[in-house]
Amino acid sequence: MPGSDSGGDAPKPDARTRTFETIEALQIALAGERYLVDEGLATVLFLALRLRKPLLVEGEPGVGKTELAKALAAATGAPLLRLQCYEGIDVHHALYDWDYPRQLLHLRAGGEGQLYSQQFLLRRPLLEALDRPGAVLLIDELDRADDEFEAFLLEFLSDFQVTIPEIGVVRAEEPPAVIVTSNRTRELHDALRRRCLYHWIDHPDRRREVAIVQARLPELPERLVEQVCTFVEGLRWLDLYRSPGVGETLDWAQALDSLGHREIDRVAADRSLGSLLKAREDLDRVRGESLEHLLDKASDASA
Amino acid sequence: MQAPERAVRCAVVALANGLRRVGVATGIDEELTLCRALAEVDVRSREEVYWTTRATLVRRRDDFGAFDRVFQDFWDGYDLDGPVKRISEHGESDPRMPGPQHGGESLPQFRLSGRSSHVLDGNAVQAMSPLELPTAGVEESAESERRGLLAAYSPNEVLSEPGLLEYGRDELAAVRRLAEELRSAVPERSSRRAAPSRRRHRLDVRKTVQRSLATNGEPVALSYSGPSRRPRRLLFLCDVSGSMERYSRALLASLQAAVGAGTRAETFVFATSLTRLTGDLSGHDAGAALERARDAVSDWSGGTRIGRALAEFNSRYGGLCLARGAIVLIVSDGWDRGDPEELAGELARLRLQSRRLVWLNPRPAELDGQPLAVGMRAALPHIDDFVAGHDPRAVTALARLIGGLGAGRPARRQGMSPRRLEELSSEARRAGGHAAGSSASDSSKHRR
Repeated sequence: MPGSDSGGDAPKPDARTRTFETIEALQIALAGERYLVDEGLATVLFLALRLRKPLLVEGEPGVGKTELAKALAAATGAPLLRLQCYEGIDVHHALYDWDYPRQLLHLRAGGEGQLYSQQFLLRRPLLEALDRPGAVLLIDELDRADDEFEAFLLEFLSDFQVTIPEIGVVRAEEPPAVIVTSNRTRELHDALRRRCLYHWIDHPDRRREVAIVQARLPELPERLVEQVCTFVEGLRWLDLYRSPGVGETLDWAQALDSLGHREIDRVAADRSLGSLLKAREDLDRVRGESLEHLLDKASDASA
Repeated sequence: MQAPERAVRCAVVALANGLRRVGVATGIDEELTLCRALAEVDVRSREEVYWTTRATLVRRRDDFGAFDRVFQDFWDGYDLDGPVKRISEHGESDPRMPGPQHGGESLPQFRLSGRSSHVLDGNAVQAMSPLELPTAGVEESAESERRGLLAAYSPNEVLSEPGLLEYGRDELAAVRRLAEELRSAVPERSSRRAAPSRRRHRLDVRKTVQRSLATNGEPVALSYSGPSRRPRRLLFLCDVSGSMERYSRALLASLQAAVGAGTRAETFVFATSLTRLTGDLSGHDAGAALERARDAVSDWSGGTRIGRALAEFNSRYGGLCLARGAIVLIVSDGWDRGDPEELAGELARLRLQSRRLVWLNPRPAELDGQPLAVGMRAALPHIDDFVAGHDPRAVTALARLIGGLGAGRPARRQGMSPRRLEELSSEARRAGGHAAGSSASDSSKHRR
């Protein structure tokens, strides 16, 4: 329940299901949800939970920024509230709205009492997150929203409270774990960055990527996974326009498997490369000059 | 929360100071957060301290390079392992720890300045500068490229002849005028955000019902909403090589006015490599920002490799969608020392993303009597508009062009033939080496 008087920020660790005693415990819990985090991300996430600070994650598309929030919610058994940002998003989409039709009916039916009360309040993700103790709130692709919305978030992110003019200040009894993601189509304001912990998720190295694919797609033959990851690692060195992320690696591995390939060869790669590379220039380039080389490396790796 | 151990406090302050010294802005807030954070992790583990510190003190990826160096020095010179472990066990401070009364002379961050002096002479400056996105691979390659380039040929000598470099007072005045004009002709685009509207565009049900609550549920007055407008992004790519330096400097200094006036502008400068200026231009002192950029770019006023610079833009910043829907203005004289094919390819790519690709060439008169600049010839088929000259007419033409590009969708030309450019430069000659402008409408008959 939101309570305007539900006391400040005194930590109550016992009430929190999502508090992990150690960084390793967090890592293991996330691995249980098939999400593998490296030491850096685990440390930062651990701190975000401990310090009750929002975590701002940036990174190339497909490195698993959104998945992080999903995995965290699943690992803690908390509800995941997702706010997808887009240009033009405003308070009524993100925080609350009044249920005007119901108010109208209430009025016409000669109803008594306050029109602007909890009864007619429509809760949007942000308000919902304040209401539900221990929730995980994902504010996805914040860079897509405009500056005004970013400014609006400041109060929320620093104090986990919002002001609704008709009701007053709504404060979280138990602040949600907030994960903010950005693709850097726009530089986020410093005021917002200051309120968050910051982490940049890099493409994983080959060993980690193998582990990720194996965790996500356990039914795939080990040899294929090795080859796929070696191939993708080689691609990332090529300075392509759009380097494939882990998401694409998973897609590709799955595509190869669906096509019945147990290992990568020229035919297999040629047929399925479209699920890995999403720009024509990149496809042309890889098909034209480096495919053989990458294939050789991939089959060496698994030999 | 318990007060953090003194040793940790000192370490945090030392580290934050070291960071500030290399231009990574951190505040007291961050230091407090870090103190809290360090209490949660194992301060004996380099890994954990590293990630904790980076997550709390550093706010953007661009600063990671500088941070890594500072942290390395910090950790080397100031082994948290020894003293802090002891302190956390015994709860007393280490006598070897320099206290504030000593001015902290032996704290690692103070050694930083001495140690970094030889680093500063090298390429570290560039990486430390907040203007650069330090990605190890790119940086390295850019550096070796630059060396190779200077060894291979000496564009400076070719281009730095005094006659070529001089810009008169009227030219610089024109640049200031351009910024003024841009200010009043900010292009716009329609926004997804709806705004209240007097015109009966779309019924705003929410507002209408809300207002009807006051009249006992009778919707007496209807409310409408309609589309709103937002400024369209301008993307400036300015040549700062030897042949263009003074012009671009003046242009950038004046652009600050446009940036300050609420226009969404992104600015990059290039010679053989690319530097992002945006954050600095919107600040208070564009002159200082340019000086910093100049320090960061070793080839400022060197030769031009437009194609390479654009390739860098497309691959490094392409993902940021800076050019998407933007009006891209390339300011260069087209004296390109790079591969014309690369230039053409990258321009084609840029054009696909942008709403409009405009090339401003302030010195078409220099083409007089010489073969067309190779870069210019390669670029022409791919640009939408070509504006040449620097006198008031050209400036007005450019401002009007940009202002008119915001709304609606002006037809995009399919390309401009080199013959058309010859015509333009001869027009420029006739006009006394000054104005010549071309836009989609007046040159459409010259389609290839």
